[in-house]
Amino acid sequence: MAPSATTRKRSRADAEAEKPVVSDDEFEIPEINGDDSSEDDDFSTGDEQSEEDEELSSEDEGEDDEEIDSDEVPSDDEALPKTNGEVNGDAPTEDQEDVADEVKIVTGADGNPRYIYPEIDPVYDSDDTDAEETNTIGNIPLEYYENYPHVGYDINGKRIMRPAAGKALDTLLDSIELPKGWTGLLDKNSGAALNLTEEELEIVKKLQRSEITDDGYDPYPDMVEYFTNTVEQMPLSSAPEPKRRFVPSKHEQKRVMKIVKGIREGRIIPRKPEPEAADEPEFHDVWADDAPPKPDHIMNLPAPKLPPPVHDESYNPPPEYLPSEKEKKEWEDQDPEDREKNYLPRSHKALRLVPGYNGSTNERFERCLDLYLAPRVRRNKLNIDPASLLPSLPNPNDLKPFPTTCATVYRGHEGRVRSVAADPTGIWVATGGDDGTIRVWEILTGRQVWKLKASTDEAVDSVTWRPAAEGRILAAACGNEILLVVPPIFDHEEESQGKEILSAGFGYAANKQQGKKEVPGTWSKPDLNLEEEGVVVTITVRKTVKYIAWHRRGDYLVSVSPEDVRRAVCIHRISTHLSQTPFKEKSVTKGIPQRVQFHPSKPLLFVATKRYIRIYDLAKAELSKTLKPGARWISSIDIHPQGDNLIVGSYDKRLLWHDLDLSTKPYRTLRYHDKGIRAVAFHHGGFPLFCSSSDDGTVQIFHGRIYGDLMENALIAPLKVLKGHRVTSHLGVLDVDWHPKQPWLFSAGADGTARLWN
Amino acid sequence: MGKIKKKGVAGNARNFITRTQAVRKLQISLPDFRRLCIFKGIYPREPRNKKKANKGSTAPATFYYTKDIQYLLHEPVLQKFREHKSFSKKLSRALGRGDFSDAKRLESLHKPRIKLDHIIKERYPAFIDAVRDLDDALSTIFLFANLPANRDIPASTIATCARLAHEFQHWVIRKRALRRSFLSIKGIYYGAEIQGQEVLWLVPYKFAQNVPADVDFRIMLTFLDFYTTLMGFVLFKLYTMENLVYPPRFDKTLDEQGAGLRAFQLEGRKVAQVEAAPPVPTKERDISRPLATIEAKIKEIEENIQRDGGDEDDTVAAEFADDGEKVNEGLDEFVPVRSKDGSTGDILPQPTADTNQGKLTNIFADFTVFLSRETPREPLEFILRSFGCKRIGWDPVLGEGSFTTNDADPSITHQIVDRPLIAGLTPAPPPTDNDTEMGNSTSAKGKVLGRIYVQPQYIWDCVNAGRILRPDAYAQGAELPPHLSPWVQAKPGEYDPTAPVADNGESESDEEYEDAAEDVKMVTNATDDSEDSNDEDGDEEEEEWNGMSSDLEDPADSDDGKKTGENPPASDDEQSDDEDLQHQRELEAEAAGRPYTAPTAANGKKSQAKRKADKAQKARDEELDRQKAMMTKKKRKLYERMEFGNKKRQDEKEQLERKRRKIEREKRKSKD
Repeated sequence: MAPSATTRKRSRADAEAEKPVVSDDEFEIPEINGDDSSEDDDFSTGDEQSEEDEELSSEDEGEDDEEIDSDEVPSDDEALPKTNGEVNGDAPTEDQEDVADEVKIVTGADGNPRYIYPEIDPVYDSDDTDAEETNTIGNIPLEYYENYPHVGYDINGKRIMRPAAGKALDTLLDSIELPKGWTGLLDKNSGAALNLTEEELEIVKKLQRSEITDDGYDPYPDMVEYFTNTVEQMPLSSAPEPKRRFVPSKHEQKRVMKIVKGIREGRIIPRKPEPEAADEPEFHDVWADDAPPKPDHIMNLPAPKLPPPVHDESYNPPPEYLPSEKEKKEWEDQDPEDREKNYLPRSHKALRLVPGYNGSTNERFERCLDLYLAPRVRRNKLNIDPASLLPSLPNPNDLKPFPTTCATVYRGHEGRVRSVAADPTGIWVATGGDDGTIRVWEILTGRQVWKLKASTDEAVDSVTWRPAAEGRILAAACGNEILLVVPPIFDHEEESQGKEILSAGFGYAANKQQGKKEVPGTWSKPDLNLEEEGVVVTITVRKTVKYIAWHRRGDYLVSVSPEDVRRAVCIHRISTHLSQTPFKEKSVTKGIPQRVQFHPSKPLLFVATKRYIRIYDLAKAELSKTLKPGARWISSIDIHPQGDNLIVGSYDKRLLWHDLDLSTKPYRTLRYHDKGIRAVAFHHGGFPLFCSSSDDGTVQIFHGRIYGDLMENALIAPLKVLKGHRVTSHLGVLDVDWHPKQPWLFSAGADGTARLWN
Repeated sequence: MGKIKKKGVAGNARNFITRTQAVRKLQISLPDFRRLCIFKGIYPREPRNKKKANKGSTAPATFYYTKDIQYLLHEPVLQKFREHKSFSKKLSRALGRGDFSDAKRLESLHKPRIKLDHIIKERYPAFIDAVRDLDDALSTIFLFANLPANRDIPASTIATCARLAHEFQHWVIRKRALRRSFLSIKGIYYGAEIQGQEVLWLVPYKFAQNVPADVDFRIMLTFLDFYTTLMGFVLFKLYTMENLVYPPRFDKTLDEQGAGLRAFQLEGRKVAQVEAAPPVPTKERDISRPLATIEAKIKEIEENIQRDGGDEDDTVAAEFADDGEKVNEGLDEFVPVRSKDGSTGDILPQPTADTNQGKLTNIFADFTVFLSRETPREPLEFILRSFGCKRIGWDPVLGEGSFTTNDADPSITHQIVDRPLIAGLTPAPPPTDNDTEMGNSTSAKGKVLGRIYVQPQYIWDCVNAGRILRPDAYAQGAELPPHLSPWVQAKPGEYDPTAPVADNGESESDEEYEDAAEDVKMVTNATDDSEDSNDEDGDEEEEEWNGMSSDLEDPADSDDGKKTGENPPASDDEQSDDEDLQHQRELEAEAAGRPYTAPTAANGKKSQAKRKADKAQKARDEELDRQKAMMTKKKRKLYERMEFGNKKRQDEKEQLERKRRKIEREKRKSKD
């Protein structure tokens, strides 16, 4: 196209520089350029000249009305069929004149002159005449304009007026007889009814029939038969057959003759015999270059050789290798796969009598299968003396003394003996049993020296002596009562000392108990006949007490009543007659407490629930450690006198040794009992012994030495299994206690006896 | 902190591949994969952690080493398999069209043939590796050499196996490599030493072999393919190392006449051959001419023998002698030189060239052996020749190629017979020339004087013993001494059938007791039980007597409270306790309704000793229990396993000893 955008710009710039300019000279430049380029330019220049004239004339017409000028191009219908060249050609000229004429100078608000330029017509190159006049109101319902004369605005911001609406009657008529192409919609752009044209209707129809909407597409054209099935009778051409169809091919003859020549010369051998030699492998020295043997690689596992034959495979073996009738039958009855040997030794008097062996092929086949199907594993053959695996244990004689035999049997209890305790002086031993009695025996003779019927219907679950040096006080748990007894077996001084200690707190108790609503334990004087027997104080708690333990100084006593969910653990102070429950809620101990023990030297309380052992610091009143023995149900615990080790017995047959310095997991797990463990005990009198008693009726004695060196782990060695207690209704030995000074052991059995072992 | 390890990129997960994955990777069928595995010697593995190897799955799977499979990807044999697949398609197409000539042409000219040469070198980089793996190859080849041809096994395969077997035997004979041999119920085991490696193989007895239906011969033949190839290369190497031509000259006619080993003739390589070593075309000797009489035949053979020098060894030796290359190749003896003051340096142990050389391998060198027709010729010929015997004659029914077929030949020193002695026959006089002319008629008359008649086992026992044994025990019709496996060397603690069994008095009495019991019950093992139970009874009483530790078990005892308190001193009043015990036993026996036999005074001392021993044993057991209790679970299991094995071995040994004692006693009795 001749007047490009650049030229147009330039022209406008010129126009502004020198105005008004009449334009002829200006167009010379494109002309000159056009001359040497193409004919088109010539043609266009010619056109332009004629156009200029026309424009000049049109200028005269509409000089004063700008709007008309600006709308000229779109509205001028006659201009549309003009060629592009013409349209473009006239646009710039028009502009120039407009610009020259239409600049208005107005005095602005600031007093300066203000140029108001006329609206610029951008004069797009493209012909947008076919672009329909669009309504610019956007996505707004047309009803909003109902009350206005217009229906929106065009791109130039001019109103689009509503087309003249018909009368009401017309609409009625329209609604009665629907014109063709009626849609019932309003054209958004024009506001008129939107009707479809004939062509559009045709397209819709085609779409409904799912046909191709293109004009002139015929889905069913007539078939053109390129080939017919009718055989033509006459030749298409009457030319005679060519000669080459009757004469042998020269080319083929040449090729055949080549082969014939080859055969004659012996180069080609027809029907060559089968190359038999090909089957026979040509052997040569593959190992000529002396390669090193296969290196031993971890992944290279050569097949193991078959073991060489042994004596019993001989045709004439020594007679002792021959199987007896029974062995023979056994071998024959076995499944062939289970047999240790796949043959039965036989003896033949002479070689000629040896029959053929049936299994040769099968055995070789098995070997073949083994070679390529059996997974190979490298197994290290441990060629050591089994004795070297055994640990060297200290000689049992060096570990002596420890109890080995039953020395005394304490008989008298009716029903099970639940608890046994040796007194700190080492002369008496107290027992408590199912018959509700507490008995004290002389250790050596086995004589019962004192007996107290604590209850008629409740069992005595636990008895224990106060550990302190002065004052012999026995605490016993019977039902929900804890009896603090001074048995009348000691000399008068000791007895009165004990009674003094116990009754010292009656004053305190009266003061304290009044203020409280609910008291964990009630301290009271026993009834008269009990008092005569030596009972000084009874403490009544809410539920059955299963276990009681003393603090090392003998001022505190801790009791466990697992049935009382909220106040299972109860600490009783002797000097003030005060009971406390350190754990107010069950959630504090997280489980039902089974056993409770004071640490032998530190203010620590060990609470064993079913699964865990929690150690509470009583001074700081906080949980200091939780041990996880891994047992299902802990039955009993005991703490080593030095306080760093702990043994735990559990109903799932395990005896666990915890080293508190090492870990929360057990250091050793010992499983030597056949039944659940009932009681465990360390010797507190200086011997490195501990024991466990179980429902299998045995007591097992272990050596458990702890070294002063922290780096060295404890040495644990089993020593002795003490058998003697009979198992009565699945219960064996219910409690054990060590003699305070001697390596003697007391055990309480379900068979109604207590025993001394030394 | 270390780098976080990703799962499944190293170790077990990477090293192993399941069989299905392997087959997919190689894109072959499972049977082809198996064949390939057989050829290449690839075998499944057992990963330490199967779960890791199987990418987390615990489903049972066969694992292969990934690198094994990786290497297979470029295997020429794999390529051949693929070619064979396309070939078989072509063939089946031709057959389907009825185009038989085309099929034939395809079959003969275009069938892909698998060569295994490269695999041999690959699997056995050094010759010694191949020798190590020769056991299975030899056993298989010898087995197939004895199998009948059928639809599964082509006759040519069997012929190849037989040829390879004979060639190998020839090498063994020539090299004198055979070390030991064993007549078993399964066949004959041979052990030869090749390159310092002992190779053991089994040859079945010459019978029509049972061909079982449940054996997949395709697998066996795949193995055999490989083994024959391997054997060929190994033999080539062995022959070449001996300066022999491989393959040896094979006389088809002789072989058809049943000459066996004699159908082959070894040839030494000339210098030119050593360089070029082209296979010499076998030239057949013309001895197929039918012989009119036996005498003529004998003559012919004798001539042959003379021409061949009796044995090819001689020929070869002669050749070397001619070439002048025969040097003393053996080791020289190093004699330490004494200095003036008489001291020598360190004396090194002198290696002998072969400890078996000379003495052992030539034990039959002076023998002229004749094999009766009931003896197995092939093994005897092989074993005799490998131990130096050069003149072996046999009955003509046993086949061609014997030194003499005349059993009256005066040169015969030993005759091997395996027939019972017939009482009526009188021994024939020493043969004269006349007898020789009369041919093999002496056998009818009975023994020929002047030669030793032995049973075949004699030869084997001599070989295994390494010297000539006294032939008395092996005389015709005699009851043979037991034949023992030469591979078993009794270690201390194991049962040794050659050593005299310890026959101490106690065990004797035990045995006696056992015997008595057996007479009553007639069941061997029940007696053992009874003995055991008796022992247990004794133990229980022992415990009761021992008292203090265990008396409390008995509630009846503990009821009387006085006894429990005191500890009876252990040794002071043994006597009185004994009496008590006896009384107690009497009472018990009465209660049980058994007659009580009082222990005699003579038994008293013994029982005391026994008690002491028991006590010690008990203490030991207790100590052991304590020790076991302190072991970790893993160690305890290991210990128990070892104990189990040891106990089993010990039981086996004791069983054998018991049986032997019994047998010996019976023998003694029958003698008395």
